[in-house]
Amino acid sequence: MTTNAPLDGGKACGYTNYEEGTVPDEYPKTGVDATGTEAEVWEALREVQDPEMPVSIVDLGLIYDVSVDDDHCTVEMTLTYTGCPARDMILNDVKCAAETAHAVQEADVRLQFSPKWTVDMVTEAGRDDLREFGLSV
Amino acid sequence: MTTDPSTTTTADDAAVQCPYCGSTDTKREHPKGPSLCRSMHFCTDCQQPFERFH
Repeated sequence: MTTNAPLDGGKACGYTNYEEGTVPDEYPKTGVDATGTEAEVWEALREVQDPEMPVSIVDLGLIYDVSVDDDHCTVEMTLTYTGCPARDMILNDVKCAAETAHAVQEADVRLQFSPKWTVDMVTEAGRDDLREFGLSV
Repeated sequence: MTTDPSTTTTADDAAVQCPYCGSTDTKREHPKGPSLCRSMHFCTDCQQPFERFH
């Protein structure tokens, strides 16, 4: 997590502070227990990558819930931070991916920022992908 | 010559593991990277720059 706090007196540029976050027990969610159409949606979401690095958004821990009601799918998700400039692009990618499931006619993607995303929500597979990409996690 | 004061931030600058060779003989060169959640590091062992994901 990052915050931009002004330096003493605020006479120089702000600096980036990294804070430790906490991860509630049931996160990250990867859809391992999903069945039927929900499993199909999770599978499709695995194909969606972060625009900055070749890691699945599922492995980044961004997907908080997938539910299918009849032919309508709702995906609850978060972003790594509230001001994410790729917001619209990612939301559209997720919507399109969810709608590839055979039984889904329409998908709604809802953003939520609780619980707050932290690096600790990245799965082991995600960590491997990040290292592969040249990032230390 | 004054350096960018943000390089002396008190944020965690511990040696982290190099993603290329696994060495921990690394140093943080700058707390800021190409995006808000990354910092710049250098591995003394394999002489490669890398980033840390926070």
